[in-house]
Amino acid sequence: MADRRRVNGPGSSTLPPVYDDGELDAALRRQRAPDAIRPLYLKTGVTPSASGSAYLEIEPREGEHGSGMKLTCTVHGPRSLPRSAPFSPYMVLSTHVKFAPFATKQRRGYLRDSSEKDLSTHLETALRGALIADRWPKSGVDVVVTIIEGESTRQDAVERRVEEWDVMNVLGGCITVASAAIADAGIDCVDTVSGGVAALVASKDGKDASIVLDPVALEHESILAACCVAYLPNRDEVTNLWFKGQLPSPASCNHQSLVSRAVQASRGTHGLISASLSEAIGSTQN
Amino acid sequence: MAPPTYDDDDFVDQYDDYEEEDEMSPEDKVAMQKGTAEVQKALGTEASKVTVAQIQEALWHYYYDVDKSVAYLTKTFIAPAPKAAPKAAPKKAPEGKTGAFPLPAKQALFLRTFEANRESPEHDAYSTNLYGIPSHTRMFPIMEKPRISPTFFDDMPWLDIPKDREAVFIEPPRPVGGLLGGSSSAPKMSKLQALAALRKKKAEEKKDQERVVPPEDEVSKLSLSDSRNKENTSLGSKLRGGNVQRDSTTGPGPLVQKGEVPSGAVSNSIGGHTGSSTIVESETGVYAKPEEELVISHSHAPSAFARTLFGSALEADQTQRPNVFAMPYTQSSSFLANAFSEPSPDDIVLAAQAKAGKKTPAAPKAAKKSQKNEEAAKESGLASSVSSLKVNDGPPPNSKGLDVIKEFEQNASKRNASFVVVGHVDAGKSTLMGRLLLELKLVEERTVDKYRRQGEKIGKQSFALAWVMDQRSEERDRGVTIDIATNHFETESTKFTILDAPGHRDFVPNMIAGASQADFAILVIDANTGAYEKGLKGQTREHVLLLRSLGVQQLIVAVNKLDMVGWSQDRFKEISEEVSGFLTGLGFQEKHVTFIPISGLNGDNIVKRTEDAAGAWYTGPTLIQGLEASGPSTARALKKPFRMAISEIFRSQQGTTTLAGRIDSGTIQIGDTVLVQPSGESAYIKSIMLDTEAKDWAVAGQNVSVALTNIDPIHIKIGDIICHTTDPIAVGDTFTMKAMAFEHLMPMPVDLHRGRLHAAGQIQSIAATLDKATGEVIKKKPKVVQPGGVARILIKLEAKVPLEAGQRVVIRSEGETIAAGLLE
Repeated sequence: MADRRRVNGPGSSTLPPVYDDGELDAALRRQRAPDAIRPLYLKTGVTPSASGSAYLEIEPREGEHGSGMKLTCTVHGPRSLPRSAPFSPYMVLSTHVKFAPFATKQRRGYLRDSSEKDLSTHLETALRGALIADRWPKSGVDVVVTIIEGESTRQDAVERRVEEWDVMNVLGGCITVASAAIADAGIDCVDTVSGGVAALVASKDGKDASIVLDPVALEHESILAACCVAYLPNRDEVTNLWFKGQLPSPASCNHQSLVSRAVQASRGTHGLISASLSEAIGSTQN
Repeated sequence: MAPPTYDDDDFVDQYDDYEEEDEMSPEDKVAMQKGTAEVQKALGTEASKVTVAQIQEALWHYYYDVDKSVAYLTKTFIAPAPKAAPKAAPKKAPEGKTGAFPLPAKQALFLRTFEANRESPEHDAYSTNLYGIPSHTRMFPIMEKPRISPTFFDDMPWLDIPKDREAVFIEPPRPVGGLLGGSSSAPKMSKLQALAALRKKKAEEKKDQERVVPPEDEVSKLSLSDSRNKENTSLGSKLRGGNVQRDSTTGPGPLVQKGEVPSGAVSNSIGGHTGSSTIVESETGVYAKPEEELVISHSHAPSAFARTLFGSALEADQTQRPNVFAMPYTQSSSFLANAFSEPSPDDIVLAAQAKAGKKTPAAPKAAKKSQKNEEAAKESGLASSVSSLKVNDGPPPNSKGLDVIKEFEQNASKRNASFVVVGHVDAGKSTLMGRLLLELKLVEERTVDKYRRQGEKIGKQSFALAWVMDQRSEERDRGVTIDIATNHFETESTKFTILDAPGHRDFVPNMIAGASQADFAILVIDANTGAYEKGLKGQTREHVLLLRSLGVQQLIVAVNKLDMVGWSQDRFKEISEEVSGFLTGLGFQEKHVTFIPISGLNGDNIVKRTEDAAGAWYTGPTLIQGLEASGPSTARALKKPFRMAISEIFRSQQGTTTLAGRIDSGTIQIGDTVLVQPSGESAYIKSIMLDTEAKDWAVAGQNVSVALTNIDPIHIKIGDIICHTTDPIAVGDTFTMKAMAFEHLMPMPVDLHRGRLHAAGQIQSIAATLDKATGEVIKKKPKVVQPGGVARILIKLEAKVPLEAGQRVVIRSEGETIAAGLLE
């Protein structure tokens, strides 16, 4: 049931039919190297009212109009827990991931749906491993990630039913942006956790399976499996791991390889977090 | 915005070098060997003074730069300067290019700056970065895997940990000052923090100069402690560690940063420590590239969306922006640039008020003075004197300063008289008063008809007139008066205040309250056979006793309900004689007692003479004539100190409290300061209401409503006395009194009544019995006082009450009046 107190846009719109000829347009295919991740733009300290905040943007493909993912994260706290809350010797972390109603082609509701709750849980696990929670007893921190623009903004993403794979990228982005925001808030961490995604992609008939980093579902004929990790590079630890899909039966590749490729991707992202944070410090010191 | 130590070329260099080192480590070794040989050659004869390890380390430091290495080695080991040299050499390093070291930015950023035996802070920060190289680059034997091995704690004792195994915990610096995160400006350091930091730095420098540690020792310690303390790194410290390396916004072109992957690290973390080799094999089968491949991450320029979002923040950093705009009004000759640099006059006033702590009317004046002569001493003196002032919330109402007695004499207005209506229960007191008001057209016939109809419903038709006075539902239900009902009417000559007292024996205290406010009384007697006799034994008698003891001297005896006995003159005569005898026995003077035959229900002989032929024999005055003939029996105590007993309290808004009561003595006017006893709180008289009109003054004998300001209503109770602050009434709990006993008196618990005031206490002792007429002592310290006797008794009350000599009080016990008397 739509919220009747707001002026809601139409649930969907009519578009001219697009005929799937079975083959991907050459322009749509992945043009990056399999081990390259898309360029990112990360900026911290974007929300003055929050303790810490960050904005992450994935560069859209050339020729496309603004379809790169855009995320923003605010961190509130550490602040004292409400009186009603029971005593906690650790910092209580609560994460909220929310798609803006206009973030995806299929409009999102104002209430959190199950996929968003799922993402929140994954994000919480990812961050919990990085935070030094016992430095902040009796306090809570709220991490709110808003997806301003999702991956599946394009109509064909809806038609081809690839949103389920885009959730992986969204989680990776959430982890990265939340990590930067927590660093901006000055909350003690063992390391900056970064998210990375790797996927096992194949051609239409399931042959030529290969692993790519930072997959964009639209760019591939089919995705067999995907993995998203939250990784602490300096400690060489994985705090959260999400594996999705079925690996083909022959031992052409295994779970470990996919995970390790995802770790590689998160290393790449980590460099960007470091650079962004250094930049933030540089700008404040100058 | 850009860090000054950085340019694009550095980055290119960094990655070129890095690739070389990373992928071609045999070449590296060759370079190292070559470098070592060259250094040894350059050092010549002095080469024996340094070890190969030292040479290699120096080469590592300077990245195979032979000249620099030689200079370093010469300075440090061959010809060391007394103390400064070891410090100077490492100091050079941070000024060099960060990119010259095979260390990715991301790693460098997270290495902790700590070391127990640090040489200098700069060196420390740098060398930690240097030696924190991941384990796969096994360049030197001193490098250990920066992780605690599983067997690390095996031989560790619980206590007495050897010194070399001890780690030093350094508290991670918290973000200094300010609020957490968020804003783009740097957290501001407070003065105290800055001072502390400076002192600490000095102390450290001093310490560093005192000790010189061989670099080799230092190196080994560094790597060990690094692995131990990595847990303690906090992001804040890492970020503020000064490892600012690059700034991606300086150039539009993509800045390539190459991450590196420790060999085996990935597979270890995934597959655990066992069986990692197989995984590596299988991985290599899948990928075309081995594990050491590079993940290339770009930073791209912000999109139009992001630029719109953060555009203002970026612009704010532009340096060419002028800080000061030339305002047109600055050209004016009357413009003063520093006009607002000093506190404004208002600020000075406010500051002075804040200093005094309270707002007082005197404060502005004080502040003005202090502004004129800015002597601090004088200001503080003023402030203290201001604070010592007593603060009154509201200004006192202006007193007109009238001579009230003169005003009262000049004011030839009607005289005021109040009378109390007493008598046995159901004698018809309230009905009589209702009839009186009805006849005087103060109550409309319609109202009485309404009451009559209401009464019919509950079978109490005859109570309609009484309900004019008895307004309370409880009184109407029970058909008896409970509390005094006050009403006003006026004739041509006099303004009367009716005090309709309850006749029921349970409410005698209320009757006392009414009687104490009255100038004279109407005694209502039921002429019915039986009822009269009953009354004489009951409250008729008690009320008369009380009237007498409260000082009422004039009495109108209204023989009521004569219509019921057919206007029998005999009956009237019989009652008159009997009551007259009783009254004279109590000390009433015959000339002050008038007998009038009436019928309250029908209204005969009240205002008009009876129209009944049977009652034509009566030629005396009607009730209203009798009332007019009576007046205040005693001279008004105008010259005495002001006393007023509170009989009712009304709380009204805005801090005023309205009290009703009769002025016992003295005069008041608006603006007088009065004291409420026994609470001792003072107040101002804001307004005076006599009946329904506002007055500027009031005198003794008037029933008035007085509005007081500047007093909390919780300090006022019914029965309290208001008096002038200049001549307050004393408050006490022990009194001697001359009492006339109605019952047997002995030391016993009693209630003392005076008007509305009543207090529990007990008769402490009986000093003497006295002669009724002469007042001489008959017997000292009697055990008991017989009824009708007069005695001097000592009463101790439980609470302090405002009473003074000459006041008449009534003593009751267990619901009966046992004595009345005069305080001495």
